[in-house]
Amino acid sequence: MIPTPYAFTLALQSMIREKWINILSVLSIGSGLLIISLALFSVYNIDAATRSLPEKFSMVLYLDKDINKENVDSLVSALKKQGAVHSVRYIPKEEAMRELKAVLKNSSYVLDGLEENPLPDALEVKLTRDVVGPEAVKRLADEALKIKGVKEVEYAEKFLSALHYLKVGLKTIGIILIATLSTGIVFVCYSTVKILFYRRKEEIETFKLLGATRGFIRTPFLIEGAVIGTTGGILSLVGIFVFYYLVLLRLSVAMPIFKMILFPSTLFLPLPFLGMFLGMTGAAIALGRLRY
Amino acid sequence: MINFSGVTKDYDNITAVKDLTFFVDKGEMVFITGPSGSGKTTVLKLIYYAEQPDKGTISVAGWDTEKIKESDIPFLRRNVGVVFQDFRLLDNRNVFENVAVALRIRGVNEKEIRARVFETLKSVNLRHKADAYPLRLSGGEQQRVVISRAIVANPVVVLADEPTGNLDPVTAGSVMKTFKDIHAKGTTIVIATHNRELYKNSGKRVLRLDTGVLVGEEIG
Ligand SMILES: Nc1ncnc2c1ncn2[C@@H]1O[C@H](COP(=O)(O)OP(=O)(O)OP(=O)(O)O)[C@@H](O)[C@H]1O
Ligand SMILES: [Mg+2]
Repeated sequence: MIPTPYAFTLALQSMIREKWINILSVLSIGSGLLIISLALFSVYNIDAATRSLPEKFSMVLYLDKDINKENVDSLVSALKKQGAVHSVRYIPKEEAMRELKAVLKNSSYVLDGLEENPLPDALEVKLTRDVVGPEAVKRLADEALKIKGVKEVEYAEKFLSALHYLKVGLKTIGIILIATLSTGIVFVCYSTVKILFYRRKEEIETFKLLGATRGFIRTPFLIEGAVIGTTGGILSLVGIFVFYYLVLLRLSVAMPIFKMILFPSTLFLPLPFLGMFLGMTGAAIALGRLRY
Repeated sequence: MINFSGVTKDYDNITAVKDLTFFVDKGEMVFITGPSGSGKTTVLKLIYYAEQPDKGTISVAGWDTEKIKESDIPFLRRNVGVVFQDFRLLDNRNVFENVAVALRIRGVNEKEIRARVFETLKSVNLRHKADAYPLRLSGGEQQRVVISRAIVANPVVVLADEPTGNLDPVTAGSVMKTFKDIHAKGTTIVIATHNRELYKNSGKRVLRLDTGVLVGEEIG
């Protein structure tokens, strides 16, 4: 249905006449969307803060003692072909020994009795940031073990999986929150439109008897749902900007840790459209359930 | 234009209209009379499809009750202007808007709405009350607003339910003149009334109902 100018007039009249109901639902929708935004904001920041962590952790492949240089080179190029691998560094056993001595510092005399370097050659494999799941890391480790010349694989399995489940958990909570609140917002619009409809029942009955089509009767309510939703969306957009600029930015002056927080403003710009969509959905459900 | 064939309409446990058969020709003016509760309003409601028959068939302006689709009903109603017995004026809209509604639902443009509403209000002597609200009008004035709304879109059929119920004889006479004028232009008119002054010496057909049954037809 293409809304006629009069549909907008009717919607506007209804909004003015029932301003309290409308203001109330705009406020509810606005706060719902604001909470959604805050949830998104938190998930986004946690994600950003933990994103580069897998990169910092590496997997170490200990090689067979009798491996020669060509074998190492072909191993390195085989590993580099793996999608999850960011970089590979070869650590010959001499270097490993130097590092070990540096670590031991004054106690390095314990190594003096050794005739021969007991350390194996090793490859340090850094993972790309896309490797989030511990399963993927495990799969890579298993693959690496199968390669001839690799004796042992070591990596921070527990840490990676803890990090992974933290992220998954937070995202799940975020999604549940968003789904619940979106449903709530649709319900608010649904109830509002239903109330508005019943308040105008007499008038609508008369319109129908005079020959009004379903579209003529329904369009104003869809417009109203859209306007309520959009206004709620704008309100939440203002809310989240106020929260960032007036609260977080000021806090970060006193507590520099808050400087780390990222504000993805473009992530929030669709809020009015989200509000409009939810508002119209609520209105459409309400109208669908009415016998008109 | 209007054709009833064996129409019966039951409400819960009472029969408001029973086995009613009659017709109204295009351009005709017909009266329906009978005591209170005899089914006059019910007959009109059946014509504009506010009620559906339990038995029999009705055809109005080319639409058949048996074949009509839900989505056709608004278009059937646009052929029929109704002067409701209970007025159905919108209290939160002024006289102009109450009359304009009939045109707005038809998607008529604003300029034409203004011209036609004022013209119609003038024809019933209400031009000066265009900005007034219905509750501030006398019964007779409200009656004429309802008549204006019924005729403003030039429907092919006008149904008037007790259109002079609240009027003194002089005003009633002027309202009847309005109906005669639009009838003269070819509009089919059905008037339900128990006021015999309206059809006396009119030379029009008068259908007499009693407890939902057509008990007689005469020339007024
Ligand atoms: N919606 C309804 N539900 C139940 N009964 C109804 C309804 N409408 C009308 N009736 C009954 O149907 C019968 C016919 O009513 P109707 O309104 O057609 O009479 P009428 O001839 O118009 O009377 P009046 O001259 O008083 O306007 C009456 O007995 C009335 O009580
Ligand atoms: Mg009646």
